[in-house]
Amino acid sequence: MPPIARRLAGGLAMPLGSVVLAFVIGAVIVAVTGGNPLDAYSGLLCGGLGIACSQGENPALQVSTTIVYVIPLITTGVAVALPFRAGLFNIGAEGQLLAGMMACTAIGVKFSDLPSPILLPMVLLGGMAAGAVWAGVPGILKATVGAHEVVTTIMLNYVAQWLLRYLIIGGPLQLAPGTSKSLTIGPGAWLARVLPNDNSLVIFGLPAGVFRVHTGLLLALVAAAAFAFLLWRTSLGYEIRAVGQSQRAARYAGVSVARTIIVTMLIAGAFAGLAGAIQIAGVDHNLTDIYFSDTTGFDAIAVALLGLGSAVGIVLAAILFGALHAGGSVMQADAGISGSLVFVLQALILFSIAANFIGQIRRLIPGLGRPAALPPEMPPAAPMMTEAAVPPVEP
Amino acid sequence: MAHKRLKFLGVAAAVLMLAMACGGSNGGGGNTKQYKIGLVTDIGGLNDKSFNHLAFVGLEKAKADFGIKDDVIESHNGSEYVPNLTNFASKSYDLVIGVGFLMQEAVGTVSTQFPNIHFAIIDGAGTDAKGNDLKHTNVQSLYFKEQDAGAMVGVMAGWLEKNGKSKKPQHVIGAVGGVSIPPVNHYIAGYKWAAKMEDPGIQVQVGYSNDFTDPAKCKTVAKAQIDQKSDIEFQVAGGCGLGVLQQAGQSGVYSIGVDADQKDADPSVIASALKKVDVATYTAIQNVVKGQFSSGALTFSIANDGAGYALDNLTLPAELKAELDKVQKQIHDGTLTPPADIPA
Repeated sequence: MPPIARRLAGGLAMPLGSVVLAFVIGAVIVAVTGGNPLDAYSGLLCGGLGIACSQGENPALQVSTTIVYVIPLITTGVAVALPFRAGLFNIGAEGQLLAGMMACTAIGVKFSDLPSPILLPMVLLGGMAAGAVWAGVPGILKATVGAHEVVTTIMLNYVAQWLLRYLIIGGPLQLAPGTSKSLTIGPGAWLARVLPNDNSLVIFGLPAGVFRVHTGLLLALVAAAAFAFLLWRTSLGYEIRAVGQSQRAARYAGVSVARTIIVTMLIAGAFAGLAGAIQIAGVDHNLTDIYFSDTTGFDAIAVALLGLGSAVGIVLAAILFGALHAGGSVMQADAGISGSLVFVLQALILFSIAANFIGQIRRLIPGLGRPAALPPEMPPAAPMMTEAAVPPVEP
Repeated sequence: MAHKRLKFLGVAAAVLMLAMACGGSNGGGGNTKQYKIGLVTDIGGLNDKSFNHLAFVGLEKAKADFGIKDDVIESHNGSEYVPNLTNFASKSYDLVIGVGFLMQEAVGTVSTQFPNIHFAIIDGAGTDAKGNDLKHTNVQSLYFKEQDAGAMVGVMAGWLEKNGKSKKPQHVIGAVGGVSIPPVNHYIAGYKWAAKMEDPGIQVQVGYSNDFTDPAKCKTVAKAQIDQKSDIEFQVAGGCGLGVLQQAGQSGVYSIGVDADQKDADPSVIASALKKVDVATYTAIQNVVKGQFSSGALTFSIANDGAGYALDNLTLPAELKAELDKVQKQIHDGTLTPPADIPA
């Protein structure tokens, strides 16, 4: 086997094993609680990927729904993975996402008459700027006074959540008294859909308007590519990785650790803010109470971990989590198994990655492959993020 | 490597076989048309001890009576409303029921896309993004005169305060709303109006938590009202409001539940204002099964047994029971009409 393939297989073993393990345990849970695991998983498969639909679901609709969930997961996943590389835990992607949503809506409502070529970049950049500010504050605090970013980013999540409530309930963005939503952003700020939003048009046997998949998908993929380019092809990316490996060594090598931390957080926040702006511009077109209960920014942490902090991995992990999200509803409708099983699966995946069960199993059963060698100097934040966690290439 | 892969395949096959062994086959259908009814809950979920739960009770009753195929999807966050409603609509269900005011815009969107599918929505209408009722001919709104139910528990609270039978009677009571939206304010309007009718000098504190799910937020609001001498707390905040009931229990005062009978939520619950969502859901399904679906509003009140109250963890004095019966009859007959807006 060529070294590249071996390396790839070694790298995939941990996340794939975690997913399989989670599904096996999930099946046991379903069976023990009186359900039928096969029904449950065929519901998930149908709802998530449009495969093997037995109860009249439209496969194209399911794929479209999943992609709508995947788009913000990719972009916020990047927003969590980048700071991981610098040894920072960004738990604040949710707050940064909400900040992006609020800025996008405020701009889109305020300048609703502007044409699309001007307004669309304005709302997207506005969202990125707001997200950057939301993450930049913890970055500056970390770099200057040493305030732990975990605490500060979590706290700023609350600030964003309550600010959102204020803005649309009694605040300046509220549509009308008694409502909990904002005005609609100008049509110029709307991201185009992949299929025309026209209910008189029938595509795949359904009115075209039901397919909500939008061109934000391209932006999300560009964001993932930009993340990979930044990390591996720029000197800033090298500095980020250097700081993540060892701050002391990076400082000795002439890297400004403080500056790198601040810049990393600013960029990460911009990614999360972009996710929020895309969501408003592509899906909702207004800010509503449905985002009081949003968890995208927290799911992003799992996406970044499962994706091993690589761009391709994040996209794949986002597809898995988006499919699980969309699949949960179909599973409940078809198999009568609570969609909450999806959260159990997500938690099991994350738990198994965090506990590195697969590594333990591989260590215990030598035939299954060599254990991942732990590098000597490992930032506490990202033990499984570094390339060193992948089994070394055979010489 | 090949060896490793083989092992992996073996494990996967074993798991698959195990899963298949557990599987059963689904029974076939009969000859008569089986109606398919889909219910989508809001973020409260089926165990909210409140209106999502009651909608499910109505659905189950309809299933027992009409042999319908009933399916439920719980929404875990608001961004799922549209896909969940679309799921049932795209599968040509005979009725798609959305539970709750929060789903208005989603019902508006999906009912536009599926003009041949019937929708019913509890506590709302199908609206556009600006909150205007689209008045689609395939959407039925199931509304409640919450003020009727609010008035009944208001009578109780006012009477207890006037006669010094509450825990710390100082002629002050409270109400904690989720968000200041019409269904919430209807309850509070009836409550305040009836309490003042019984005890003209009473002070009714009204607060909002701006939340329907997190009990901690409602607890804070209730605590503030109890600190301001309120000793009967009426919760109008769904799952969040469970915090009101808990806080009342901890502070040693009375509380009043909402929507469903919340007797078991906390020992402090002396009564519950009932919005009989089960009756409404059942009626909507019955109409579809009988081919009598109608668009527009269907209102449930004391007059058609769609609203009322439940007595919980308190043995009522006979005088109070007589007063409640009197007021209920007057509202039923239309001689008393609780207001829809909160009185000054």
